[in-house]
Amino acid sequence: MQKIFVAAATAALTASLAFSGALAGAGEKGHGHGHGGHGHSTNAAVGAPGDAAQARRTMRITMTENRYSPKSITVMKGETVRFIVTNKGEFVHEFNIGTAEMHKAHRGEMMAMMESGALTPDRIDHSKMGGMKHDDPNSVLLEPGQKGEVVWKFGASGEIQFACNVPGHYEDGMHGRVKVR
Amino acid sequence: MKRNAIAIGAALAASLLTGQAAAGEYNIVVERVEIDAGDFRRTGVGFNGSSPGPVLRFTEGEEVTLNVTNKLDEDTSIHWHGLILPYQQDGVPTISFDGIKPGETFTYTFPIIQTGTYWYHSHSNLQEPEGAFGATVITPKDGERMHADRDYVLVLNDAHPHTSHRILRNLKMMPDYYNRRQRTFGDFMDDVRELGLEATLSDRGDWGEMRMMPTDIEDLQGFTAQINGKSPEQNWTALFKAGEKVRLRFVNASAMTYFDIRIPGLKMTVVQADGNEVEPVDIDEFRLGVAETYDVIVEPDESKPYTIFAESMGRTAFARATLAPEDGMKAAVPEMRKSPLLTMADMGMAHGDHGGHGGHGAMKHGDAAEKPMDHAAMGHGAQGGEKPMDHAAMGHGAQGGEKPMDHAAMGHGAQGGEKPMDHAAMGHGAHGGEKPMDHAAMGHGGHGGMTHGAADENGGPDPLYAPGSGLAPKAANGGKFLSYADLRAADPLYKHRPATREIELRLTGNMERYMWSINGVKYRDAEPIRLKYGERVRFKFVNETMMTHPMHLHGMWTIIDVGAGQWNPIKHVVSVAPGTTVYTETEVDAPGQWAFHCHLAYHAASGMFRKIVVEGGPETAKSDRS
Repeated sequence: MQKIFVAAATAALTASLAFSGALAGAGEKGHGHGHGGHGHSTNAAVGAPGDAAQARRTMRITMTENRYSPKSITVMKGETVRFIVTNKGEFVHEFNIGTAEMHKAHRGEMMAMMESGALTPDRIDHSKMGGMKHDDPNSVLLEPGQKGEVVWKFGASGEIQFACNVPGHYEDGMHGRVKVR
Repeated sequence: MKRNAIAIGAALAASLLTGQAAAGEYNIVVERVEIDAGDFRRTGVGFNGSSPGPVLRFTEGEEVTLNVTNKLDEDTSIHWHGLILPYQQDGVPTISFDGIKPGETFTYTFPIIQTGTYWYHSHSNLQEPEGAFGATVITPKDGERMHADRDYVLVLNDAHPHTSHRILRNLKMMPDYYNRRQRTFGDFMDDVRELGLEATLSDRGDWGEMRMMPTDIEDLQGFTAQINGKSPEQNWTALFKAGEKVRLRFVNASAMTYFDIRIPGLKMTVVQADGNEVEPVDIDEFRLGVAETYDVIVEPDESKPYTIFAESMGRTAFARATLAPEDGMKAAVPEMRKSPLLTMADMGMAHGDHGGHGGHGAMKHGDAAEKPMDHAAMGHGAQGGEKPMDHAAMGHGAQGGEKPMDHAAMGHGAQGGEKPMDHAAMGHGAHGGEKPMDHAAMGHGGHGGMTHGAADENGGPDPLYAPGSGLAPKAANGGKFLSYADLRAADPLYKHRPATREIELRLTGNMERYMWSINGVKYRDAEPIRLKYGERVRFKFVNETMMTHPMHLHGMWTIIDVGAGQWNPIKHVVSVAPGTTVYTETEVDAPGQWAFHCHLAYHAASGMFRKIVVEGGPETAKSDRS
């Protein structure tokens, strides 16, 4: 059962690599923000890195193939939230806060990481990350079984997303809604 | 059941063809059904041939049409408990419509604009305790927020061998008719030995004056507790595979019985209360009040059976079901714990040592001796006695230790004076730490007290019980017992704002005559409560009785003030423990007229009931009525 599942997931991953490769290419022409290891130029609407001492709420997010639980959250504008993110899946997953556009751009980077070997389906090889360190404060990238933390101060009202930009995962539905009130 | 399934199938097919938003049509027949409680069999009332009736599964955004046919020889009705809908669809005879005559079919139609676990039941002539109830599950249009591999509904109830009318007659004649735990002369002698003659006589005297007894936790005993219509022996079973996440949707459809529910060997994560998503809370046990629903997720990682064990609050019966890898497997069934005894605290009569505060006594300082609070800084000085402080819900005992409390920022010292303090606006997300304050029951003008309890993660005193209460729950394994104070709305429905006015509702009764009332007036003699569309009303529930009352407002949400401001949990039932005061707020956003009552069937039937009239509001929502 387990084996079959892994095989199927790997096939899906391979198939989606080609697909999101094309996407990444298109993205590079369009908007270049966030590429090249300079971190993400997060726009003010999305918010800013938060101070854990200011966080009144802690939210637990669980990641598996290919979904989040919970799959949507509600926060107040200007609220600082501490996220404790656990990867209970069998593959690498990411919890990344941003707009759909930011996620799209980030998928290009993640694809590059995959191509460079820094990212395999279930491992992160930090030695191969080079200038592309995955250490942006709006996200955490976790191997199976790992737990991480993001403290984020949300910006203006609106709707943004948390998403996993590991190739193939977003397309498979691994993104959640953040309602900012 | 079959009929219903066919109807759903047909409707689905139709909507697929037209490509329109889902519109489901459901046929429900109210009829006499056989109830097999294991230790007795009798006829009762059910839906589509069974009790509980079929689980109604709706999807958010769906337009539902429910054709309800009455095959009884008396009027009937169905109330869609917890659903937000036009009042004419709410199913309460004399308030929302005229009821459904024998042989007639009434068609309800309304849009489904919410998600979660709810239920439905007859609102006519004590048919609900006869079995006329079932669960409603509304799936979000984009799928469940919390992932689960399996999803089960568990409807609990208290099936009784006597008919509901006979029970009410017996209770009226002799309110302790079903109380099989009256204290005996032997108990009296034991108390004299332990407490001395004077204390025993004084205690007995107090109880006598209240016309109540310390064993009066459940005024209905002798029932069989069921889960999905199965007795403990019949053992309703849900299957799982090790490692799966299993969602259990608990619905308490009992006439009179609260249950304390646990699954030995498993932690439960509460994800929903009364249909609304809450921030997940890990617990070992919870109390399911009458008419409440809670969704929990469990993750059994071993391939072995687990017992779902639900003891009645008075410990006179238990319901039992099993989570099992294979049908037929069972786990050990625990012994029931000892029956609790109510204390004087539950009567609001604890003769505490701080009798001076507020002029009415009843302040107790629980286990707080080690860490005395700074009363001066809390502005107690301003308490004049007549104007009690409103500390409604500061007792967030159960929050984790992660968030230290900032007393300075709470401005306790600065307030006071004549006006009640408004702590609701104090941002209590920040309460917690090791020694949370418990002001839940302060300033009642005589009912309850104030505990500076040493609540900790593993279940210090629940701030929603009177300090010293015999009913305050404790987890069987010494772990975490859920309190309302732990609940935080995950997706608040309204912007937080100060209430526009407060309405005091004293929950009152005369046990000797089995009369239950609000502000001392029973339904028959009462004027409706008038609310204005657009206001935010703060209800102050003062429980002057020794019973726990699950108060249910139809048509509009009940936001329980646990001091979390914007994140206060949103429910349709608030359980008010004896000797306590609880505050709730309601955004009055539903025009028309609604029922509001204690959901203990025989209390509602005896007068603890009100009509609520919402004045004003959109013209379109009004009709010929009222």
